[in-house]
Amino acid sequence: MLTKKYASVLLAFASLAVGSSGRLAAASNDELQALREEIQQLEQKLRVLERKQELKDDDAAAAAKTAPKITIGDNGFTLASADAANSIRLRGLVQLDSRIFFNDGGVVNRTFALRRARLIFEGTFAKNYSFQIVPEFGGGSATAATTPGILDANLGIKISPQLQFKIGKFKSPVGLELLQSDSWTFFDERSVVSLLVPNRDLGIQASGDVFHSTLNYTVGVFNGVADGATSTNADFDNDKDVVGRLFFTPLKNSAGSALQGLGFGIAGSFGREKTASGHTSGFRTDGQQVLFSYLPTVIDDGQSWRVSPQLDYRYGSFGLMGEYVRSTINVRPSATGVKTELTNKAGQLSLGYVLTGEDSSYAGVVPASNFDFAAGTWGAFEVVARVANLKIDDNAFPTFASTATNADKVQTAGLGLNWYLTKTVALKIDYYKAHFGFPAAAPAVSGAQVLRQDENAFITRFQVSF
Amino acid sequence: MKSFRHLPFLSLSLLGTLGFLAVPAHGQKTIELLNVSYDPTRELYVDFNSAFAKYWQAKTGDHVTVKQSHGGSGKQARAVIDGLQADVVTLALAGDIDALYDFAKLVPQDWQKRLPQNSAPYTSTIVLLVRKGNPKGIKDWDDLVKPGLSVITPNPKTSGGARWNYLAAWEYAKRKGGSEDAAKQFVAALYKNVPVLDSGARGSTTTFVQRGIGDVLISWENEAFLALKEFGADQFEIVVPSLSILAEPPVTVVDKVVKKKGTEAVARAYLEYLYSDEGQDIAGRNFYRPRSPQAAAKYAAQFPQIALFTIDEAFGGWTKAQKTHFADGGVFDQIYVK
Repeated sequence: MLTKKYASVLLAFASLAVGSSGRLAAASNDELQALREEIQQLEQKLRVLERKQELKDDDAAAAAKTAPKITIGDNGFTLASADAANSIRLRGLVQLDSRIFFNDGGVVNRTFALRRARLIFEGTFAKNYSFQIVPEFGGGSATAATTPGILDANLGIKISPQLQFKIGKFKSPVGLELLQSDSWTFFDERSVVSLLVPNRDLGIQASGDVFHSTLNYTVGVFNGVADGATSTNADFDNDKDVVGRLFFTPLKNSAGSALQGLGFGIAGSFGREKTASGHTSGFRTDGQQVLFSYLPTVIDDGQSWRVSPQLDYRYGSFGLMGEYVRSTINVRPSATGVKTELTNKAGQLSLGYVLTGEDSSYAGVVPASNFDFAAGTWGAFEVVARVANLKIDDNAFPTFASTATNADKVQTAGLGLNWYLTKTVALKIDYYKAHFGFPAAAPAVSGAQVLRQDENAFITRFQVSF
Repeated sequence: MKSFRHLPFLSLSLLGTLGFLAVPAHGQKTIELLNVSYDPTRELYVDFNSAFAKYWQAKTGDHVTVKQSHGGSGKQARAVIDGLQADVVTLALAGDIDALYDFAKLVPQDWQKRLPQNSAPYTSTIVLLVRKGNPKGIKDWDDLVKPGLSVITPNPKTSGGARWNYLAAWEYAKRKGGSEDAAKQFVAALYKNVPVLDSGARGSTTTFVQRGIGDVLISWENEAFLALKEFGADQFEIVVPSLSILAEPPVTVVDKVVKKKGTEAVARAYLEYLYSDEGQDIAGRNFYRPRSPQAAAKYAAQFPQIALFTIDEAFGGWTKAQKTHFADGGVFDQIYVK
């Protein structure tokens, strides 16, 4: 009886236990399912958040593609469209000189001079159209203040790398040294060779790089300016000058060749001048003192032409530039005087060596590291040397130029040290010596005080170019 | 000495000769067109552009390259209005091309009449793409407003496909609920279930198919078929709703641009080729419903039978629909809270 009772109780307990565990298992399954669903929901939420971030990032990237770009640096201030097809750039050049002359008997004042101070506005539109406007505020001469004016103003049209047009006022494509940027010449002042080539002129030119860029050609038609002169925005006669230049760099694409940096060419101009503006107002020394000028009554009447073989070679830190110019004009001593053809000649050879190992370049030396006293870096140093001479035609004397106040030749030499503190800032220290020769009929003592002794000029230039 | 007075003028002639030499030789031309299109047409135009280039070269000898730009239809229209130099636009809806006239006079007002069938060489419709096995049991539009369901559809402010989606849902709800209010409540509830608004239809496909977000994608029919083809019919399936909208994506030449670029003839030929036998076959192959009877018959089995209404029947046309629903302050702005 008791056993049956216990068995019943046991059976009841057993049934209860089995039922509970089933309910427990069911409850666990339900919980698990709920947990799974919760995890799936959380996973979905996480994916949604990630996707929203992804879309935000895509929108930001798309916006960045169309946003204009502003850059400020060594190349100036540039504002460009996202696709770079349109841009406006502001650059500048300031050159402050200290000019000291010695052994000149006090004839030439020592002076500070603002040699150049210009803003350079450049821009590109629709990728292939460019412009440049350069107002000059600095004094061009140590002896005369210069009225601010427009140095360059031109438009460019790029058809292809082989054909580009430039229209307006810009450097006439004759002188190799003259064509080099005012910021990056070996010396503070260009050599006497640049006295015989046209400076800025108004006209139109076509140019391009052909034969895998080993030949650069330039051909143009200009108003025509005198030796070393800049156009005054008007032509004083009806005739125009034709100017052309071919410059070869035959091994430009031969990487590793010692002659990869060799370039040579020939340039020239041809035209007719009819007024006094066709001849130079005066040739100046490296120290910017007048060594020769025509009599004020002289006028031009006839053909003028120039020819200039030229050479530039760069090999690592070494640079060499050579140039010869022969400039011929036809002049009369007065409106009714006899016409005479005069040919003036000049040549120069310049060398440079970058002591700190950076490459010498026609486009300027870029220091590997900036001058930073704290960091112990010094920028780049370059030593330069030059010899040059200018010979005036003997037939210029005495009919067209006074024998008493002019030299008929000058031989110059220069030594210099350039310190490129950064790509933008440079200090140039130059010494120039000029020795004058005189026409046969010149007096024993020149009427021009500056010509009575050799010119010894010490010119230091502080430059900011960006 | 001989006078060289004429030398400057001879030099100008030399300059002119140099300019002439710089121009490519007469004969074969290389022409580039830009087709600004809506989001899901990438594959269609890869095929079509290749076919058209071959056709045009055989016909004229000229090389044609067609560059593509894809994005939400509204966004693309805005880009063209803002200056994107599209020779042709192939957008999701006529309203977006109307905007090219309204805001910039880039096309004439009657642009839609210039090509057959209202300038829509192919059509499509809106279907529902779900995960394989349809785990949420979605059968029709009604199911999209169930609480807890996650719906993927793009932003109607930028996407043409999104606007077709919206209008399809609206008309379904209006017919079922019997009123505009019922439709508005329905669409509001639907958008409450939308966790991510992509800017275009392709973006939504990416969200649903590749990012694994959502339970259902309201999709262009062609986009749904493409998802099955690219990702496998073992991953997704199409649910055909009981009612949908006939989507007619139109195409047109952008007159101001082609006149400036001198590409008018080839741009017109490009769009006309969409109506050719080859063009229609390419459309069908890419899951667009062709217009031509022959191609429609060829691809008939590919497309489900759906009861379709047009935007003209239900909404009085795109201009009215755009103004009522999608303009700033319109119904969508009223119902959608970010």
